[in-house]
Amino acid sequence: MERPLSPFMFPSWYRFAVTSVLSILHRVTGIALAVGSIMLVWWLVSVAAGGGTFAATHAFLASPVGRVLLFGWSIAFYYHLLNGVRHLAWDAGYGLELRSAYRGGYAVIAATVVLAALTAPFVFLT
Amino acid sequence: MAKPSTLADSTALRDATVRRRVTQLGSARDGLRDWRLQRVTAIALIPLSLYFAISVLRLAISDRTTAAVWLGSPAPALLVILFVVAGITHALIGIGSVFLDYVHTRSRLLAAGLLVRAAAIVLAGAGVLSVLKLFLSR
Repeated sequence: MERPLSPFMFPSWYRFAVTSVLSILHRVTGIALAVGSIMLVWWLVSVAAGGGTFAATHAFLASPVGRVLLFGWSIAFYYHLLNGVRHLAWDAGYGLELRSAYRGGYAVIAATVVLAALTAPFVFLT
Repeated sequence: MAKPSTLADSTALRDATVRRRVTQLGSARDGLRDWRLQRVTAIALIPLSLYFAISVLRLAISDRTTAAVWLGSPAPALLVILFVVAGITHALIGIGSVFLDYVHTRSRLLAAGLLVRAAAIVLAGAGVLSVLKLFLSR
């Protein structure tokens, strides 16, 4: 039999659960933030270069596409930061019981939604 | 706080004997160094990333001069450099472990690893150089 390899275990081999979805989201947001680090460094380069480079970068970030990207990266940042703290707690041996794993997961989702809602006006109304 | 179980007590962060048992003649090789570096950079990134995010939110509507003055002043310059280096190191380990899980060919894994490491070094270099330029020319 062909063994199933890791990206294709869902949904036919494993059932989705909140904990596993959050675990995948940690990776997805981590990859998104790694891609975002290119934009971040490009922004630093553009501030240092000044002139047309900065103007073009600023215009892109202020455009609708740029704002949606920035908002997406903010959500990814909040989620990865909060869930990362959850992971650090596990590494230290805390919260490994099923109940606390679920409770922490729901807390991370709630806090991410609240922080994203608070950030939206800054991204879209300024 | 519930009484920690024996299992929870023996994580590599809590118990040094776990680390001693797996290193040297144990089964751990390069992975443990990456594992620890990922956690150390994660802890450093909690304050650094929050500092950067809050600063950038305040700078969002600013012109180039305001951003340049901010990035050129000593404390922000240092903290942004540390943020860039810690963040890219953390991202490099993370992307590396994603490859390790999903790239099932040894040669492709090696090539992807080298490519991402090169990209990370260029990015970190460009970021640090930009902040240094603004700091030195203020």
